[in-house]
Parts: sequence; C-alpha cells; structure tokens
Amino acid sequence: MTTLNLRPSAVRRRLAAARDYLIMAVVAIIMVAPIYYLIIGSFKPSEEVLNGFGGFLPVNLSFDNYLAAFEALSSDATGYFWRFFFNSFVISFVIVVAGLIVNSMAGYAFARLNWIGRDNVFVLIVLLIIVPFESIAIPLTWLMSGQRDTLFVQMIPFIGNAFSVFLFYTFFLNIPKSLEEAARLDGLGSWGVFLRIVVPNAKPAFATVAILTFLSSWGQFLWPLLMTSDPAVRPLPLQMSVFSGQLPPDWGEVFAFGTLLVLPVLIVFLIFQRFFIQSVAGSALKG
Amino acid sequence: MQSNRAARRGGLAALAALTALTVITGCSSAGDGNQSGAGDGTGPIEIWAHQGNDAEVAALQATVDSFNSSQSDIEASLRLIPADTYTQTIANTPADKLPDVLDIDSPTLASFVYNQKLSPLSEYVDQTTIDNATPGSIAEGTYDGELYGLAQFDAAIGLLGNRSILEAAGVTIPTSVDEAWTADEFADVLEKVAAVSPSGKAIDLREGGFSGEWGTFAFSPLLYSAGGAILEDGRASGALDSDASIEALTTFASWKPYVASGQDGKAFPSAQVGLLWGGHWLYPNAKAGLGENVVALPLPDLGNGAKADAGSWTWGIGASTQNGKATGVFLDYLLNDDNVNAMVEANGAPPATQSTFADASLYQTGGDLALWGEQLAKACAADAVTDACVSVYRPMTPGYPTITARFGSALAAVYRGADPKTELTNAAQAIDSNFADNNDYK
Amino acid sequence: MAESALAPAIAASSSRFRRVRRPRSNRDDTAGILMSLPAVLGLIAFIAVPFFAAVALSLFNVQVNQIRPAVFVGLDQYIRLFTDPVVSGAFLRSLLNNFVFAIVVIPVQTGLALLLAVLLNRKLRSVRFFRTFFFMPVVFPMALVAVIWRLILDRSSDGLLNSSVSFITGGLVPAQDWLGSSATALGSVILLSIWQGVGFQMVIILAGLQDIPEERYEAARLDRANGWQQFIHVTIPGVRNTLIFVLLLTTIMAFRVYDQAYILIRTGGANENATQTVLYQATNALSADNNLGRASAISVFLFVVVVIITLIQRRMLRQRSED
Repeated sequence: MTTLNLRPSAVRRRLAAARDYLIMAVVAIIMVAPIYYLIIGSFKPSEEVLNGFGGFLPVNLSFDNYLAAFEALSSDATGYFWRFFFNSFVISFVIVVAGLIVNSMAGYAFARLNWIGRDNVFVLIVLLIIVPFESIAIPLTWLMSGQRDTLFVQMIPFIGNAFSVFLFYTFFLNIPKSLEEAARLDGLGSWGVFLRIVVPNAKPAFATVAILTFLSSWGQFLWPLLMTSDPAVRPLPLQMSVFSGQLPPDWGEVFAFGTLLVLPVLIVFLIFQRFFIQSVAGSALKG
Repeated sequence: MQSNRAARRGGLAALAALTALTVITGCSSAGDGNQSGAGDGTGPIEIWAHQGNDAEVAALQATVDSFNSSQSDIEASLRLIPADTYTQTIANTPADKLPDVLDIDSPTLASFVYNQKLSPLSEYVDQTTIDNATPGSIAEGTYDGELYGLAQFDAAIGLLGNRSILEAAGVTIPTSVDEAWTADEFADVLEKVAAVSPSGKAIDLREGGFSGEWGTFAFSPLLYSAGGAILEDGRASGALDSDASIEALTTFASWKPYVASGQDGKAFPSAQVGLLWGGHWLYPNAKAGLGENVVALPLPDLGNGAKADAGSWTWGIGASTQNGKATGVFLDYLLNDDNVNAMVEANGAPPATQSTFADASLYQTGGDLALWGEQLAKACAADAVTDACVSVYRPMTPGYPTITARFGSALAAVYRGADPKTELTNAAQAIDSNFADNNDYK
Repeated sequence: MAESALAPAIAASSSRFRRVRRPRSNRDDTAGILMSLPAVLGLIAFIAVPFFAAVALSLFNVQVNQIRPAVFVGLDQYIRLFTDPVVSGAFLRSLLNNFVFAIVVIPVQTGLALLLAVLLNRKLRSVRFFRTFFFMPVVFPMALVAVIWRLILDRSSDGLLNSSVSFITGGLVPAQDWLGSSATALGSVILLSIWQGVGFQMVIILAGLQDIPEERYEAARLDRANGWQQFIHVTIPGVRNTLIFVLLLTTIMAFRVYDQAYILIRTGGANENATQTVLYQATNALSADNNLGRASAISVFLFVVVVIITLIQRRMLRQRSED
C-alpha cells in the first residue's frame, strides 16, 4: 500500500465520522429537547410553558412552581411532600433489595440446579412474564383487602418478579461451569456455590435487575391508587394529579412536580451513568 | 413423570379456581355487613375530601379546625385526596373502610348509593339544615327518594365574554337567559369574534377534557336545548340518538374552526380569544386578567331555550360510620352560613344554602354573575326538562359512570370529525346494553 | 464475556430454555426447591392465582363491587367481544391499534436502536456523552412522558412540534392536530413511545456489538468487504440473538401499551378511536361499565394472543436459524 492509496481512505474516514456525528447530534437533540423543555418549564409561569419556541427560552425563571408544589403538599390533611417521597423510596428500596435476593436464588435454581418439576415451574414463570398487571389488579385487591393502606401491600406483590428471574437465569447460564465444578470438588454445596462463586461473579446482573426494578417501582401508579388513600403511606407519583388534575392545569407546577419526581432517578443516573449503562449493557440482557 | 406433572397442574388449577370462587362468594356477602350506627355523638370522626385549589383547601381546613376548637366532644380529622383520582379512590375503597364523612362529585352519588357506600342523611342531620338547602342541593343529593348528600356550593356554567372584544366584533351581547344567542347567531358571533381576536380564534372550549367529566358537564345541556336528551324513561336509545340530539352535536362540531386549543387556559384571561365556555371557578382568574371587561353570558339556545348544567360536590355520610350523630353535628356546622360563605368566597361558587344564596352579591341582581344566578333559580332534573328551566342536573342513576364515559367519547369523536349519528347511536346502544347487563341497576 | 459462554444463554432465550439432563444421582432437589420457593410462591400468590381468578371471572356476568350476585354466563363474555356490535367495534379497533403499534414499533424502534448502537460502537470521541443522552428518556415514567408530549404535540401553533415544523418549512405547513386527527394520533403515540423506549434497546444491542470479536471485522476487510457488507455479514449475524431477544421483549411490551393511551385520551385530547388499546378497553370495562367479567375476558384473550404470537415468532426464528 502506498501513501497515495491511504489518503482518500483517510478523507473518507473523516467524512464518515462527520456523518456519524451529525446523525448522533440530531438524535441527541431530539432525545434531550423534551427533557430540557420539562426542566426549563418547571421554572417558568404556566402561560409561558405552552408558547411555541418561547417555551424553550430561559426567561422569567423562578422557584415559584417548586414552592407551590411543596406548599400544596404540606399539611396533615394533604400529606407532606417529603413523606410521599420517603414512602416511594422505602417501597422501591424494599422491592429492589428483597427482589434481588429471591429472584437471583430462583434464577440460579432454574439455571443450574437439577430438581424435580423444575422445567414445568419454569414454563409457568416464563408465561407469567406475559401477564399484564392491569389484568390481575382487581382480583389481587380482593386477596389483599386486609392490608389496605400499608406500605407492605405496596411491596409484597412485586418482590417475586418473573422477568427478573428470567434475567438472572439467562445470566447464570453464562457463567462458566468450570468455576462451579471446581468449587463443588472443594466441598461446597449448592448454597455455598451460589453465595461464594455465582453471586460475586454476577454483579452486572444484580445491577441491571436493581435498576430495572427501581425504575418500575418508582413510577407505580395503578396499584397504590387501588389500595391506598392514606397520605402517610401513599407514594409520590399519585400526587402528581394534585397539579395535573385541575382544569386548566398549571403547567409550571406540573412540570416542577414532574422534575422532582424524576430527579432522584436522573441524579442517580448521571452520577452512576457509566456503571448504569455498562451494567445494563454488560448483563444477561445480551443473551 | 408425565402423570406427576398432570396431577400437579390439575392441582394448581383447582387451587386457583377455588380461590377465585371464594373471592366471588366472599365478596358478594361482604356487602351485607355494613350498618351505620348513631354512636353517642362524641369521639373522633374522619373526613375525606377532594383536594381542590389552594383557597378551597384552606377554607375547608379552617372549618375543620374551628369545629374542633368550638366544642370538645368530637374530634374531626381531615384527609385530602387529589381531585383527579378522588372518585376512583372512593370507588376502590370498600364500604367498611370509608370515612364517617366524605364529599362526593354529585353525579356519582347514585352509583355510590347503589354500591352501598353511603348512609341516608336525614337521620343524623338537623332538619333546619335540610330545610335551608337550595332545591338544587336537594336534587343532586337525592336518590330513590332518600337524601344522601347536602352541598356547600353549586356550580354555575355558562359563557364568559370579553366585552371589548365582543363590542369590537359588533355582536349583540345578551343580558338575560332569554336573549341567549341562537345557533345561527352563535355561528355568526364566532366568526366575527375570531376575526377581531388576536389569536384568530373566537372561543376556548377547554377541549382537552372532552373525554372526561368536563364533556358531559359542559356540553350535554346542548342536547336538552335542541330538544333531545340523554335518557328517556331510563333508555338512551330514542333520546341520545334522536334527531334533536344529533342536530345538537352537529352544530357543536361546526364550531371547531373557531376554537383555540386552550391547553393552559390562558387564552381567555389574556384576551387572546373573546369567549370562554366555562363555569364559576374560572371567573376569579378571568376577572384578574380582564377586570370590568368580563361579562357572564348564557350558553347558546339551540331551539328549546338555553340550558346549562349545574351540580357540584356534595357531602355525605359513609355507610359504615359508627358515629352517625357526630357526623350530623359536623355537617350542620359545615353547612352553616359562616362556613358556606368562607368556601364560596374562596372558590367563587354559587352557595347551595338558601340563607347564603340570598346574600351572594355576585349572583344577585347587579352582581357580575347575576345571569348565572338566574339560571340556577330555574333548575330542573334531567328527566323533567321544560322550556322554562335552564339549569339541568345530570341524570341521577347508578349507571352514570357509563353515561358520562360514552357521551364524552362520542362528543370528542364528533368534535374531531366523526359522524354524529353513528357515534350517538353507538353510545346509546352501549348505555342501554350496560343497563341491561346490570338489570337496570335495580 | 466470551462468545462461547454466551452460547447457552442464546439457546435459552431465543429458542427454548435449556433442559439439563444430569444423571439421576446428581440431583439438588432440596436446594433447588428451597432457592426457587420464595420467588415462585410470590409469583403464584400474586400473579398466577389472581390470573386464574380472572379466568374464572371471565365466565361470569359480575360487577366490580358485586352488588348483584355474579351470574355464570359461560363463554358469553368472549363471544360478545366479537359479535355484540356494542362491544366488538371498539374492541376490534383496539386490537387493530395494538397490532399496528407492534408492526411499526418493533422494526422502527429496533432499527433505530441498532443504528444508534452501531454509531456508538464506532468508538468515536465523546461517544459517552451521546450515549448518556440517548439513554436518558428511559428513566422517565410513562405518566410524565405523556404529560410532556401532550404539550409538545398541542394542536395550536403554540405547540412545540407545530412551531418547529412551521419554522423548518418557513410557515408552509399549518399547525396540525397531531393527537386529535385520526391520521396522526396513533403515529404520535408511537413517536413518544419510541422516544421513551429506544435507549433501552440501544444499550442491550450495544452490549451485543461489543462482544463481536474485532478479528471478524479484520477478516472481512481482508476480503475487501465495504462498510455495508461488513454490517450485513459480520455485525448482524453477531448480534442476531440479541436482536431476537429485543424483538420478543418489544412484542410483549407492544401489546401492553396502556399508560400513554389512557392519559392522552382522557386529558390530552387524543383521538380515542385511533389510539385505544386492548388494555384500555379492559380498564374501561371496569371504570365505565362496572363489568368485571368483560374486563377479565379481555385480559385473558390478550394473554392468549401474546402467547400465540410469541410462539409463532420463536418458531419462525428457529426455522430461519436452522436454514
């Protein structure tokens, strides 16, 4: 190869890179524009949110909407903003932690252990992935009617999660068997292998399941709507209708509340984004 | 292995079926156990209400606080639930978990009575309180001959106009219900007002809420005005899909080119459009934006006189209260002049007690909303509409949720170009089919 | 993770779960049952049992609060979904909407995710920056997404999309009623759904791409394959199983569309006929019609449809992989 041949290809490579950047920039703008719109709108008076391109301009900014959002949820009767926030956090935290424990154990049992009825039970689990929650909500309210208005009732149905079991199962199949077999030769039983060998090698799977579970439990709406009325146990998303339910809605306040709702997830995401994306990417999902 | 598996599957299915049946039979008998008790008139009572705007919340909280400090026998505690999900929350809560006192969106009252969630009031509330209620309050609180709800305030619906824009457009401004614009006049008004409005549109109908309760609340009166109805002798077919009803929605859909999208409600108060299809709760904001330019107008008359909806939130007693006497004492207090006045001062609504309505300057002669006060004075029930009555309360039936869902869907579809006859016929059939499935809610 | 280790996982998720046949002597019955028990019990109690209850309820004319005693009607609820003109019109339209949603979203969203993943995998500078942005919408709850987009799609010239279109075309295109018009309503719902979901699929595919050994590309280049040929003959086969996984997942999600449809119809002025979904019909049967039997029948039917589609997809994909 001579230098004469290299040159056009270098040019071509630069052109290709420029094209790639252009595509990515356009997509990035489309992805970020609605988020920017939400955040900038949360600092503006309602009538300037829906205002064509004016909705994008950072003018008339203030914290008024945030103060109003806190103000609207600041008495024993309405419940307190921080209490709703705390409830959501506790509910999500318990579902995530307990879910990691029980679903990883089940995933391992299905992937690696040989027990009676395993394949049949696994078919059941896979089928349950397809059942939408909306279709079982009413019968479930009857089964759980004794636990209305508790944090418990908002956690317990979601700890065992068929999709999480499936993700763990797929991931555990990937872990080289030789590791486990060596450990078994050293005298470890099934529990020992799981705790000492499998779990330490499955951090990406745990991270992925934790993140997916957190996202879905943080945004829960239907189930708490069916099962709670007490502000002491209600989660944050239900209270968004305090602002969006009025006609006409005060869009500034709705956006302020929406920003506060998504902010914890967004901050966690921005700080841990490398870990976040790589764990989603590096996990069982690639199966 | 094979038979083992089959046996296990069969067992699981049997278990599930058994659970399902237990659930079905268990719940159908659960309803019988709700009996309210009078109690001794002391002790704690729990109150649930929807979380309205900040001023309403403050007024209600002040009433509860002053009630608690005015006497020492009863301790009332208030719980506020977001308005948007309030009715769903009550519907989702079993009767024995409902509070002693709760407020109810009045058209849903009959369905809550049907579902055994409310107690009759007359046993616990003082007769003078009942006697002082406006006819509208009694009408929206009565189902099957029994009083279940009493309201602090009613609702007034009509058009709000921007006087300078209307004058610039050169249209006549109605000064009484009798002078309401006819369908043809209204079409002309919309065209002229649109021509002089800064936005190029004439009116804000708050169209985002058509599929929800707003659609039925604001626009079902058009049917009555055109000579149609929602129900006739308990059937929607022949009423909701009558030629008059179809005519009403056809007219309604023809206004669309002049309608501002209005998702943030700013168009009217900021004088971008000249008209707003709204109610009392929009008046304070409009007044703040437009000052003396705000004028209350009747809804258009499609032939049988202008008609407008009425009815708002009303207060009831939970079916399983064990403290009925105390709830009565609280409701008597809630509905006294001071507390009703404090509430209507907060939300601008027409009061729903006779003693306060007489003093409501906003709705009496000379007040900004006097014309809407006149409408409320001429009220009738949905099954007894006459040419002379203006305010028509929504149908009192446990099937109301299906009526409002179907009407709202039809309204929104027609507005977006669907055929009125098809939509209304489908809606009428769906409503009748629902009534049939539920044995006419008997 | 090494390619070889991935193989069993691929076999599991894309064709059938793996049946490990070990000698009888080597069983872990106690540990297996104990380890799976908490999750399995929870799933049976909180999903399987209520679902079987829904199956049972679908055979009754039963109200949500059961003020009237439930009446056994056999398969009547199912038959009415298809034959009762009052019910079938909206139901069949919902089913159609779900299918259109699936048929558009599955290829478009997967294709876009693949494109973005390939671009990110070029390892250009500041790729991490773009990756962050592409993934960000995934953390937004659908309820919030619907609220933001309803304003973006507003039919007045104040809507962000309308003002953008007007700006780009120099005012040639007038303001459109994106959500209200029957022509664009479902497209709008699809648009915002893709906006929210594409980042998730992108990272899954990106993971698959990163597992393709660089040697394969080198070998292709030695064969004088151009970029497109490399994409077709190296990239696509390399992430084939990942794409299958994404496809199955997206299919299940596409038939579960509910939140955005409900919120946009009820509060955003979306065209109900054009955007209602099967789950929307199910919840409507509850809230508007007080008809738990019909709601259950719709749910059970939806479940069966998704199971059948998933089985068909798997069979087709398996056949192709055997070719």
